[in-house]
Amino acid sequence: MMSIRSQLLKGILDGCVLAVIEKEPVYGYELSQKLLNIGLAEVSEGTIYPILLRLQKNGLIRGEMRPSESGPNRKYYFLTEAGQEALENITGEWKQISKPVNQLLMGRREG
Amino acid sequence: MNAQKLIKENNRKREMLTAENEAYYGDLLIYIRLQFSLSEQQSEEVLMELLEHLLEGQKAGKTAKDIFGDDPRGFADELIEHLPKEEKRKLIPFIGGIIGDIVGWLLIIRGGLFLVLSQFTEVDTKVHPLSALLIALMIAGFVIITIVYVFKLVERSLFREKRNTRKDTIKAGFAGAAGMAAVLLITKFLPEMGPSFEFSWWASFLVGGILLGLIYLGKKRKAA
Repeated sequence: MMSIRSQLLKGILDGCVLAVIEKEPVYGYELSQKLLNIGLAEVSEGTIYPILLRLQKNGLIRGEMRPSESGPNRKYYFLTEAGQEALENITGEWKQISKPVNQLLMGRREG
Repeated sequence: MNAQKLIKENNRKREMLTAENEAYYGDLLIYIRLQFSLSEQQSEEVLMELLEHLLEGQKAGKTAKDIFGDDPRGFADELIEHLPKEEKRKLIPFIGGIIGDIVGWLLIIRGGLFLVLSQFTEVDTKVHPLSALLIALMIAGFVIITIVYVFKLVERSLFREKRNTRKDTIKAGFAGAAGMAAVLLITKFLPEMGPSFEFSWWASFLVGGILLGLIYLGKKRKAA
């Protein structure tokens, strides 16, 4: 069984990737750069590809090969309806958990 | 963009990789392509994404290890876990094509051989379908075992600093020779069974030619 810790992380990562794709369709490298710019350096490189494959398999996103502005065909990812729903769910859960956790962890006495 | 085009583009773009990155990516590519049960289209699409990413990273001075981590096998296994399986309806023409190719060439060779031989000596052109089928199944079994064995050898040799290519080549050659010898021996001692019919050199030639022609047309249509 997967540990709670890795399950939690997985859900949060899925949410981040879905949220980036929701704004506009992106291709793999573009997604990694956006995550990097947000400050999520840990998931900015090769680790996004297994995530993208899993999200595709679960029908939350779909990929489509399209010609890009600079020439080569690229696989752009779009959010599906199921992905939209999943993103709402993850956002809702995050709201519930982030406030108390923040209070608890950030409110610790220094020292 | 279909898988064939992606493979071609991949071959072209891979040349832009540095030696170090090519070694890493090349192994990753072979490892994933060896998984025949996976969707070829989806596999090639993700391989192309990884290559594009690597080329971009290379421009920024990053290596494949920086981007994909220092456990390429683990990374590849993770990708494989999430890649969809190939649909059965695509596998059947693939395997059927290979079998048809072999049978077609065998019939043409048989036709040519019998034509030449019949100039010098009496040739027995009788065919025993039951015996022929048995031998064909045996050859197929031998070919499959050898292919699986060679794939295993290749898979084991990937992602290593040092490779013993020569030893693997000898192993693969030995497996092929031993299997072939076994097939020949059994064929020699297998009694001819069941009904038989005349199958002249030109009929053999004709059937083989038609078979290969059909396969060629099928492939051409698929590529278009």
